[in-house]
Amino acid sequence: MYKIFLCFRYLTRKGIVVFPILAVWLCVAMLIVVNSIMTGFVDRVRSTGRSLEGDVVVSASAMGGFPYYQELEQKINQLPQVAASAPVISAYGLLNLPDYEISMGVQIVGVDPALESKISSFQQSLFWQYQAPMQAAADLKGVGFPTTVPKLVQYAANLVSRALDEVNRRQKAVDELKPVPPDAWFAGIREHWQEITIEDAQQAQAALEQAENDFDFVQQLPTSDSFADAAALTKALVPAVATFAPPPEAVNAYPTAQAEPQYGCIVGVDLGFYERDRFGNYHRPEGFRFTPVVLTVVPVTMRATLATPQTGQFMIVDDSHTQVFTVDSKTVYAPFDVVQKLAFMQQQQRLDGSIQPARASAIQVLVKNNYDPQAILTARDAIANLVDQFETQHPDLSFAGIRIQTWDQVQADYINAVDNERNLIMFILGLMSLVVIVVIFLIFFMIVRDKTQDIGIIKAIGGSEAGVAAIFVLYGVIISALGSLAGSITGVLFVLNDNWIHDDILWRIFGITIWNRSIYVFSEIPHQVDPITVAVIVGAAILAGLIGAAIPALIAGMQDPVEALRYE
Amino acid sequence: MENLLELADVHKTFRLGPDQVQVLTGASLQVKPGEFVALVGASGSGKSTLLHIAGALEKCDRGVVLFRGQDLTKLSRSRRHFMRNQSFGFVFQLYHLLPELSVLENVLLPAIIAAPWWMAFVGARPRKTYALELLEQLGMKDRLKHRPAQLSGGERQRVAIARALINDPPLILADEPTGNLDPRTGHTILDVLTGLHRSRRQSMLLVTHDVSIAAQADRVVKLEDGIVKPT
Repeated sequence: MYKIFLCFRYLTRKGIVVFPILAVWLCVAMLIVVNSIMTGFVDRVRSTGRSLEGDVVVSASAMGGFPYYQELEQKINQLPQVAASAPVISAYGLLNLPDYEISMGVQIVGVDPALESKISSFQQSLFWQYQAPMQAAADLKGVGFPTTVPKLVQYAANLVSRALDEVNRRQKAVDELKPVPPDAWFAGIREHWQEITIEDAQQAQAALEQAENDFDFVQQLPTSDSFADAAALTKALVPAVATFAPPPEAVNAYPTAQAEPQYGCIVGVDLGFYERDRFGNYHRPEGFRFTPVVLTVVPVTMRATLATPQTGQFMIVDDSHTQVFTVDSKTVYAPFDVVQKLAFMQQQQRLDGSIQPARASAIQVLVKNNYDPQAILTARDAIANLVDQFETQHPDLSFAGIRIQTWDQVQADYINAVDNERNLIMFILGLMSLVVIVVIFLIFFMIVRDKTQDIGIIKAIGGSEAGVAAIFVLYGVIISALGSLAGSITGVLFVLNDNWIHDDILWRIFGITIWNRSIYVFSEIPHQVDPITVAVIVGAAILAGLIGAAIPALIAGMQDPVEALRYE
Repeated sequence: MENLLELADVHKTFRLGPDQVQVLTGASLQVKPGEFVALVGASGSGKSTLLHIAGALEKCDRGVVLFRGQDLTKLSRSRRHFMRNQSFGFVFQLYHLLPELSVLENVLLPAIIAAPWWMAFVGARPRKTYALELLEQLGMKDRLKHRPAQLSGGERQRVAIARALINDPPLILADEPTGNLDPRTGHTILDVLTGLHRSRRQSMLLVTHDVSIAAQADRVVKLEDGIVKPT
């Protein structure tokens, strides 16, 4: 009994006890914060890396791609492990924006948007076709229909305001694009000014009607926050599949005097057209969407020789944010068939009259049960066998050097680098934790040394060696447990609120920016709190406290009581 | 009458660096039940060492230490802990109270050590009533919640005496109990000890180098040249 009694008296009446608790507290919190953020970072990198590609990618080492891809894709789709597949063409080229006098080297990727949406997160990466309507859906959910009348009125007013903005924006775009003869310039402006109020009134009326329609539409939307309702809301607002087709108003607004763009294209969000603020938001210049662009593709033959560059007129219909900077900073997506033709990879007749089959750069494959890594590996092996057989039937495929890789093999360089960084940081933190263990040991050692005379007294009045040791071991365990508990709570709370702490405390109050979203790929500090890791860190900290306390406690227990009594 | 404590031919040598210092060279001493024995001697003569050996705090190199006929030198560690807790009450020159504990907790500590572990969870304070009685007898009833640092030297020694008595040990071992006090307080403490001895007929072995204090005892013996001699 005296062990517990004395232990609690030492805990409650010794001020020095705060220091080891603080040391364990900070150490545990630090490990949890760093591990959670780094794990979150790695997980985010993996998930974004994964969503870029199919589960298995059949690709050609040769820049000219590989032929017979339709036949191969058909065979792949017949495999029981495969859910879907999509061919992709990848070519190098130039992106030219005549209106902005910008030209840059890009990777031009030809995809079928509907197929690609099934295989990867292509659609989710699009701003106008996915992220903006999703945000609108979130906004509508935030209004919380049906709620109070003032909120409905406010919402209707917002809709009208948005509609008017949109009308003005479109009108401005039309006006800017409309060629105005120089002699009619002033007359045009005057006329324009006279008319604009009437137009505005008409358009505002139209916008209000639209807002009312929207209002009716919104009233029919699901009202609860359940997953099913959220899904229904998203379905109502987000297009079913991604598309390269520009909306009719953009096509109609295009000046007929210029060569009309035939196709839409989607640009990577980090190509440099948008400014990005410190919160990670992209600022899209007004009217930038629907800008005409010229894409020049450098075709590469199957024998890896260059052919005459081909150009095509396009219109930017959307931008893509995959969150992988190396992709978003150099990629332009365009329709598969169009890119195939520009890259000379369509079916062609050779000079000798024979047929050169159409080519693709890769086939992306969606595997059934792809949550199971083993299922992906099995599918990869099955596809590899299939490709081996296929190559025996088509000997000219050997030029292409076909590779069959899982998504993580394709992304290995990118993912492994971050994984290695996390392991390195955890190793360094582990070493730092060893230092903390030594500090705890020294603090306990000093406490025990300070208690030498007490140990003599306790032994003189009947306390045993084991009893004295138990007092200090218990003391160490309680201190580590208290520190670990406080550290785990602080660490988890910190991690769960890391973005708030960073934005509203560090930046707003102290003006400190650690996570600059204009530099990092992710707009939020990622985190992933793993309860098992937290439990392991807490357990290790308690063990460290136990070890730190056990050695001085054993020394204390073995002390000669007479020597201890003489100690001053 | 059978001796309560009997030390026979006790030897003790200390190593001081390369030298061996023979402190006790065949000391023998007996204390009868209810007897008050004063052990005098010059400083460094080995009085405290003899007291520690008598109280099972220290082991002798050679000789016999019998307490109620039981040889302390042959007891197991746990038995020696038990003897120190139940059979001896130590009063030290420097009081040796635990600074984190209150007056009452210091007095109760030997009883808490003797109590089973589960008492910690039911919050019982063993022998609390008896501790309060003792502190009242010693004039410390108003200081129960004070910490040792808030007490005078004389008050601390009273607390140490109460602690020595809490388990009702048959023998009190007092090592220069007045040595750290001014003469007036020292005499008051001595009066307390002699009063307790008379009222409880408790055996006491008191180490002192003050002849006037020793004169209060039933019997005075002297430690000289490592052996105990009658005066």
